[in-house]
Amino acid sequence: MKILRITLLALTALSFAATAGCGFRDIDKRFFVIAMGIDPADQGAKGYKITLRLAVPSPKVEPGAGNNQVVTMEATSIAEAVRLLKAHVDKEFDFGHCKLFAVGEKLARRDYTDILRWLTRRRDVQSIAYVAIGQPDAASILKVEPKSERYPGNTLFLMFGKDGTQSSYLVPVYLFDFIRRYREHGIDPVLPLIRADKDGYAITRLGVLNKSKLMETLTPGETETYSQIRNQDAKSTVAAVKNGNTMVINVDHIATHFKIANENGEYVLRLWLNVSGIFEEAPLGVYEEDWNQLEALFNQQIASEIKKLFKKMQQAAVDPFGFGLRYRATHPGTEQTWKDWQNLYPDLKFDIKVRVEIEGTGLVK
Amino acid sequence: MSRYFFYNVILVSLLNLMLFVPYLLIQYRYKGAIMSMLCAAIVGTALALLFMHVMKTFPGKGLPEILRLFMPKPLTIPILIVCAVMWLTASSITMYAFSVLINRFFNPDTSSLVVLVFMCLVCMYAATRSTLTVIFVLEVGLIVCVPIIVFLLFKAFNSPMLDWDAIRTVSHYWNRGPQVKPFAASLFVFTGYMNFFMFNRLNSPNFRLRFRWGTPIFCSLILLTSFFIPIGFHGTEGAADYLYIWSVTSDTLIMSYGFIERVIFVFLLMYLMLSLIFAMIGWHMGMEMIKSCLPEKKEAIDPARTPRSNWVIVGLFAVLTVAYAYWFNEKENLKITSHWIVLRACVEIVSVLFVFVLSLFGSGKRKKLVSHENTSHNAASPDGA
Repeated sequence: MKILRITLLALTALSFAATAGCGFRDIDKRFFVIAMGIDPADQGAKGYKITLRLAVPSPKVEPGAGNNQVVTMEATSIAEAVRLLKAHVDKEFDFGHCKLFAVGEKLARRDYTDILRWLTRRRDVQSIAYVAIGQPDAASILKVEPKSERYPGNTLFLMFGKDGTQSSYLVPVYLFDFIRRYREHGIDPVLPLIRADKDGYAITRLGVLNKSKLMETLTPGETETYSQIRNQDAKSTVAAVKNGNTMVINVDHIATHFKIANENGEYVLRLWLNVSGIFEEAPLGVYEEDWNQLEALFNQQIASEIKKLFKKMQQAAVDPFGFGLRYRATHPGTEQTWKDWQNLYPDLKFDIKVRVEIEGTGLVK
Repeated sequence: MSRYFFYNVILVSLLNLMLFVPYLLIQYRYKGAIMSMLCAAIVGTALALLFMHVMKTFPGKGLPEILRLFMPKPLTIPILIVCAVMWLTASSITMYAFSVLINRFFNPDTSSLVVLVFMCLVCMYAATRSTLTVIFVLEVGLIVCVPIIVFLLFKAFNSPMLDWDAIRTVSHYWNRGPQVKPFAASLFVFTGYMNFFMFNRLNSPNFRLRFRWGTPIFCSLILLTSFFIPIGFHGTEGAADYLYIWSVTSDTLIMSYGFIERVIFVFLLMYLMLSLIFAMIGWHMGMEMIKSCLPEKKEAIDPARTPRSNWVIVGLFAVLTVAYAYWFNEKENLKITSHWIVLRACVEIVSVLFVFVLSLFGSGKRKKLVSHENTSHNAASPDGA
């Protein structure tokens, strides 16, 4: 009995040696990839140009202390490019901290589906990494070295995450959400467009994709509307023009819901958008005006903007809001339901009811 | 003590993820998964109630003792061997699946076989302990893991990324007729009570199971969660693509301020613990069943020394597990599991009905039972021991 026990103990002790020996690699022998850019190969060759942004470890954490190393490789497949890149560096790549996958605009406009073959299969790719489209290409995004960066990649994490800046023009998209929308019947993928801007990035537009390529780019205003409708983004504004003066309301509370109704054989999408907030910018004297009239003005102008956006999506035959999925969710579960939706979406009517509530005019009248 | 009963129920229902239950259900999401789940809930609850009657009729008796009351020993041996194999395979499949997961997510450079060998060593030690120790380990393990798992499930339900439209879309397919495979898979969630085939030895004669209505409610909730949450996160189509669907689903959750941002690592650690506990119990049950087929009869539930036969039997289990992992790859494992889960459901239904019928005749055996009760000193409850 005793011998057995000692044997077991010895085996357990040996296990530590085994795990350390063949599997584990120390942190100073790893290169942490913080962002990856995927572009089509140059000059029309088949394959990809992969750019990796590697974090260079630094003992200091202070503004401007983040050092990066950017490496690029062309190959016929992503996996091959990564393997080839390994032969150009001294440490093992670790994708476990890769937070951004930038897809070149050219690739997105041509066909993005092949890159998912690598992204979905790879075990160390985070499902919660962000995906974006790089303008004009992904490599130029990765080469940006923001001056204020405290550690490598910090700027990107802060921009996309909820901890740093919160812009209503930036709609972060997680990898799993992108894959889900790519596979789903009834909702299409969206990706933010990111471009290099001197010492930083500018992310103000949203690209709308169908199941294989980039179809439309939204303007910053449309991006904000998308964010308000789909994500109920309360860190946003609504605007209206009266006599040439732009009035802006800072949103305090926002609620949207929509349903697909059948009216005399015609399908209508009904969307309710309720917004309340206070004026952020308006000419002096709005306090004295009839708020009901102002609200009506806002209601009408916002509704027509939303309608224009919906029409644009309809014409491009994409559905980034998930109307189709809602249709499936509210109709009997058969194959026919999905076919019906594909037939009726091009002729879908929109009925948008906006209700803006002015809560105050800020500090002045 | 009724809480030990519920520990088993909770453990087995939570562990369905490791036996590809959500995977199988999601493959049938348009073809009758929901109806199968409903049928499994009814059948599972009914079987549990029948078995509770058995427990009441034969207090302090494990399956071998119950069978022994009605038939000669040679007849009981095949029944016990079949049951032991069922528990052994459940544990082995879980361990194999988990060693692959560790290889995928934690340590890609170590072979999953090496991981499995070490997991087997741990489980060998744990499973050879006495029944009483095993059930205490179960309690400690669950108290550590379950709050965190419940927190993660709560986070999943609360996540803004959860797409309720996808869940509603799939729930519109409720009217498809039930199918065998998803039914058998869902039935697994309700089988926690079956561990009392052996643990019933621990129950005192005045054992009363309270809150038994909680079992079907809890198990149904877990079943719905493990089916619908992945669909909500990966869509009606995307969810069917993933093999280790719950590991990928846990990766979609974020804890920005939780020390570790990626929930998947916390989740996998918790399930590593649960899987080891599950395997420990499975092997222990299998071991006890095989031991009761041996000529010498050891009945003490908490012996001072671990009998050598324990080591031999569990060692054999470990060798079989490693051999299984060596011979079959992931694809074959999944295929075997999906067949095994149907076989397991059949064995469950037949064996519970069988012991229930025995318990109906049990009153006739009451005299024998009482006299047996007086001579043995082992039918003590865990808290009274």
